[in-house]
Formats: sequence, structure tokens, C-alpha cells
Amino acid sequence: MAQTTVAAPAERKPKKPKRSQFSGMSKALVRRETISAYLFLLPSLVFFIGFVVVPMVICVVYSFMEYSMKGIEGFAGFDNYIRMFQDKTFIRSFWNTVFIVVVAVPTVTAFSLWVSSAIYKMKAFTRSFFRCVFYLPVVTGTVAVTVVWKWIFNAYYGILNQVAGTTGFDWLGNEKTAIWCIIMILFTTSIGQPIVLYVAALGNVDKSLIEAAEVDGATNFQVFWKIKWPQIMPTTLYILVITTINSFQCFALIQLLTSGGPNSSTTTIMYYIFDMVYKFNDFGYANAMGVILALIIAVFSALQFRITKSN
Amino acid sequence: MKKFLALLLALCMIFSLAACGGSTESAAPESSAPSSTAPEGDTVDLVLWTYPVGTLADNLDGVIAAFNEVHPEINISYELLDYQNGDTKVTSAIQGGTAPDLIFEGPERLVGNWGRNGLMVDLADLWAEDAAGDISTGVAEASQLDGAYYMYPLSVTAHSMAINYEAFEAAGALQYIDEETRTWTTDDFVAAMAAVRDAIDAGTINVITPGIVYCGAQGGDQGTRALVNNLYSGYFTQEDGTAYTADSEENIKALELLKTMVDDGSLDANLSFAAADELQAFANQTCAVTFCWNYSNYVSYAEQTQFTPFVMAFPSDDGVPELEMGMYGFGIFDNGDDAKVEAAKEFIRFVCNDADTAAECIRYTGFFPVHSDMGDVYEGTDEAELKEPFALMSTYLGRFYNLTDGWTEQCALWWPMLQQIFSGTDIQTAVTDYVTQANANIG
Repeated sequence: MAQTTVAAPAERKPKKPKRSQFSGMSKALVRRETISAYLFLLPSLVFFIGFVVVPMVICVVYSFMEYSMKGIEGFAGFDNYIRMFQDKTFIRSFWNTVFIVVVAVPTVTAFSLWVSSAIYKMKAFTRSFFRCVFYLPVVTGTVAVTVVWKWIFNAYYGILNQVAGTTGFDWLGNEKTAIWCIIMILFTTSIGQPIVLYVAALGNVDKSLIEAAEVDGATNFQVFWKIKWPQIMPTTLYILVITTINSFQCFALIQLLTSGGPNSSTTTIMYYIFDMVYKFNDFGYANAMGVILALIIAVFSALQFRITKSN
Repeated sequence: MKKFLALLLALCMIFSLAACGGSTESAAPESSAPSSTAPEGDTVDLVLWTYPVGTLADNLDGVIAAFNEVHPEINISYELLDYQNGDTKVTSAIQGGTAPDLIFEGPERLVGNWGRNGLMVDLADLWAEDAAGDISTGVAEASQLDGAYYMYPLSVTAHSMAINYEAFEAAGALQYIDEETRTWTTDDFVAAMAAVRDAIDAGTINVITPGIVYCGAQGGDQGTRALVNNLYSGYFTQEDGTAYTADSEENIKALELLKTMVDDGSLDANLSFAAADELQAFANQTCAVTFCWNYSNYVSYAEQTQFTPFVMAFPSDDGVPELEMGMYGFGIFDNGDDAKVEAAKEFIRFVCNDADTAAECIRYTGFFPVHSDMGDVYEGTDEAELKEPFALMSTYLGRFYNLTDGWTEQCALWWPMLQQIFSGTDIQTAVTDYVTQANANIG
């Protein structure tokens, strides 16, 4: 699973008295500071523009083109977008994607919080051990993880069938179970980072508040809900956003395990885009789907920001 | 001082990132030929990509070294692709303007896809040089499109199937095959698979399922296609290539038979297996037949197979199989550099037409020469006896239909259609839907 490299948000800090950023500085000094800051930013900015902004703009432009292996063959207007909503496979892939997100994101977040709550008070060695264990699937290559799972799910000699006594059952070849298999693997590869973040966030919760609440007779649940939860909310928001993006962009697992089958039951928008580019060479249509996927992710992320901020 | 250090750090970051960016240029392929000693101005650098065909890629260092003895001015670096991700890599390279100069694969891609899209160089001059004219018409036709030759072939084979001889023997199923001609009729196939199933049920043989119709991905789709086409002598396309005909009466009947066999347990349909999984299952003795066999696969799985993989033609109602041809050769991407094109043609001449090198390279691919005057390249080698049944399969080659327009797209539609059929969709509906979509890509 590709991991985003966005930095974790800073924990909430106590408010300080308002003060001008440049107070006490001469104009020349401010200018020199600004130039230095921009110089530090420059490498990232160049790469951000070159590898994020420019491709995004090109993607939007190509989405309005008839574009195949032969190159751009003409202006398509909104045809690619209209076609998308008439394409049964796209509609199915949209619902599959939403299903994966709706199941995986809350599960990953809740499970990570539960595990973190259980381990953050443990001794440093034990805590590190558990963090390591849960982080292992993240640092292990997706291909290696997938190959192991493929053996586990194998219909003829897979360990799952041996344990469950369902010899011959094709977990990945059954429409009803294939997507759950994908979600399960996605779950195991997604919980590592949230656990590490939650352990850190819980460790930073103001202990004096907890002690005061306990002295006042607050229950464990009340301590969690009234004191810890508000203080780890920025971390929760970050975890929700990255898990949502990772779930939306789930691709390698599907490519290696099911190729989107059976009967498109595990085809996600991301995988369908890949299909359109590399199997059907329909680049214009794929770009249009990419634009829609980006919009969907943006809407989901905005919703998450809104909901968590309102809390 | 602090500012100076900060500036220095920023510059270091910029240069280190620039160095990272530059690494793509120096991202050396997995291996490369010895450097040329010719003056720098006269050298030509070629990039060759090859799909895995036999052990050719493992032996390219030697081939290139031999070539460099004759042409020290041509440097060739190569990279091995795989069938899982190779197309992705090539498509990305084409779109990024970094396609290789030379590529080794079959006509489906070289001619039917990249050639059709105007990305390849016409190799008509190489074909014209072939004064002996000893390349069969079928191979020549498969190498060209509308008169332009986008492929220069090296070797040819017939895609076949194989059975686990000992399992068939123990199941009493050998009576249904003609061991001399390695053919069987559809009725014999049905009877043989039923016998294997009964032997499994009775515990006579230690195999889990008689055979697996794989339809989890595109890899090895020629196997399931050939199986369907042969069972009742159907064809996959119109002879003139104007339409896909998987919905013909014969093909529908064949799919119905396969569905019946899956239902009665004499075959299994696996919706998550691709050919590589099925081959592994065959090698493990999980199943007793494979529908994706040729000499290259024989070599790949030789160490794992603790039984005799007995090469067979696909079963057909009249006992006369029509096997799908597998042909491999070189194509040149039109990268707009005449010097590279000429250098690439020199390499093709060396590999495909130089008597000694060609014979050696053909043996590396594990297949057979396209030049009839090359005779038996395996004669006198340790492989000669092993090759005989594969050579026999080459006599059953059928019509080559893989250059039909929209071939790449139909490949992506074929296995999902099989998935639909084996998960309960009405056969006629699934096939009609497939043919409609496949035909929409023609023209």
C-alpha cells in the first residue's frame, strides 16, 4: 500500500498572546529571512509543480480529448464524462470503491485507536514491540504480502480452506467473498501507521487533566471521551484522510490478487483507470475517470474535515 | 555565518535532488554488453527489451558479446520484461517518448498493436534480403500488416496442452488418447477427464482436480481460446478478419460442454487463476492437465514436475486439431533516429540470419526455426528427443487470427466473459455481449 508522506499535524498547543511575526526585525532582515525561506522551499516547490500540478492540469486537458495509442485524435468535449455515467463497469467500480472506503476507513481507525489505547501505557520495550508488529505489513513489499495472502486463499491448498474446512472454495474467485478478501488485506496493511500515530498522540495527552478528572470520579469512558478524544482529534482527522485516500487508491492488491474480477466485483475506479490505459489504450477516457476520482476524494476529505472540525 | 550555511544547505538539497532526477538517465538496464572500443563519434547505443521467451534473455550477454566482435561500434543494453507488467511498461515508455529501440516479442504486439498504431519501423528491406525465401507464407503473413513488415521472426511454436501421464495411466484414461499422434477427440477428452475425476474420487490418484479452466486474468488466454475453438472445430474470427465469431454455433456448443464438465466435476473453473497459477498447479499435481503448454513452459517447470508431462494437442470433434501459432521475433520502434534503426537491423540480421547464431538463439527460445532451410536445430543435442513431440505439435498449426483489429481489447474481454459463464450467466448472453464489444473495436 502506498503511504502518503504528509507530515502528521502538530498537537494542539496552548494559546499564546498575539504577536507580530516580524516584530523587532528590520526590513532588510525580514527580506533576507524571506529569501532564505523561499530557497528552502524551492526544491520541494519545483518537484511539486513538476510532478503534481503539471500532471494534474494535463490530466484535466486530456480528459476532454480523444486520445489513444496513436496520439490525440481530436477534441471530445464532454463525451468522456458522459460515457462514464453510461458505463456499467464504471458504475460498478464506483460502488466497489465506495464500499471499500466505507468499510475500511472506520474499521482501520477504530481498530488502530483500540490497539493504541491498549499499548500506549505499556513499558517502552513492549510498546515498541507491538508497534513493530503492526507496522511490519506496511514496510513489507506489497507484492510479498500479496503472494502470501494468495497462498492463504488458494482454493486447492490454501491454509484458510484447511482451517475452515472448506476445501475447494475459491475465496478470490467468488463474487461475494473476493471484495472482503481485498478489504481484509487492505486492513492489515493500513493499520500500522495509524497505530504509531495514535500511540504518539495518546502519549501527548495532558496527564494533569486526566488525573484531575480521575480525582473528580470520572469513569474510564468519560476520561477517554471528554479528555483524550478531543486532544487526539487532529490525529484522527489526519488518519481518516490518509486512510480514505489509500483506500480510494487501492490498486496493487487488486492487480495482483483478482485483476478486478470475478465479474468486476473487485474492480475499483483506480483499477478501471489502469485497465483503460494499459489494456484498452483509451487514454482520454482514463483521464476523465482520474478527474472524477480526484473530485470524489476531495469531497470525502472535505466532509471529513467538516465533521471532525464541527466536533 | 548561519545564513551562509542555510544557503549552502539549500543548494546542496537542490543539487542532490537534481542528481536524483538525473538517475533515470543512468538507470542502467539489468545488464549490458561490453563497452565498445570504437571512437565515441561512431558508436550507436541501442536499448533492447525482451519478453521472457525460453532462456534467450539469460543468454543475451553472450549473444551481444558475439555481435560486438563483428560490430564493436554498436552498444546494446537490454532489459527483461514480464508478461504481467511488460505491456504497462512499454505503453508508459511509448507515451513518455522513451520506447526502446528494439523489442523481442510476438506479432500480436509487434504487428497487431504497435505496428497498427504506426509506432514501428517497416522491415520490408530485411525481408527482401531473405533471398532464400524459405520462411513459410503463414509466418510471413503474420509478420506484416497491409504490406508493411513490422516483425522479423526468429522462431515459431505451437501452443498445446499437456497431461500428467502417470495420473492418466493410473486412472485408466490413456485409452482415450492417441499416444502416437498425441491427439484425441472431444468425446475421448470428456471420457478421459471423467475417468480422472472418478480416480480422484476413489483415491486412486493423488490429484485434487482433473483440470482447471483458468479465467482469473489475461495471461495464457491462448490456452482457453484454443480449447474452446477446437472442441467443435469453431473459429475465433472471420477468415477475412472482419469480425470475432466466438458466438458461432460451434463455440457456444464448446462453452456449454465445458460448463457441463465443470458442473459434473470432470473439470474445475477457477475464477482467480491465471495461466501461471494453473501451470504451477499442474507442476504440483494439483490438476492432471494443463491448457497452457509449450517447450518454454516445459523448461520452466522441469525441475518441479515429478511426473511425465505428456504433450497433447487440444481435443477436437473430428480429431484434427488446429493449434494456435506462437511466433517470436524482433521489431524496431520508430524513434526517429536512422542510425539506430540501421544498427538495430544489423543486430536482427546477426541474430536471425547468421546460421550459427540463429540456431543457437532458436535453441534458447526453445522453439523451432522459421527458416525451413535451417533444418533441425536440435539435431545431435541433448534436447533432440524432448523436442520431438513439440515439433509434432507444429504440424497441427491452424489459422493465425491474432492480427485481427481490436485484438488487444478483445484479450481484455475474453477472460471476464469466461468468468461470467462459470459463475452462472447465460452462455449465449455472455458470449453475445463479448462479441459485440470485441467487434466494436474493429476498424
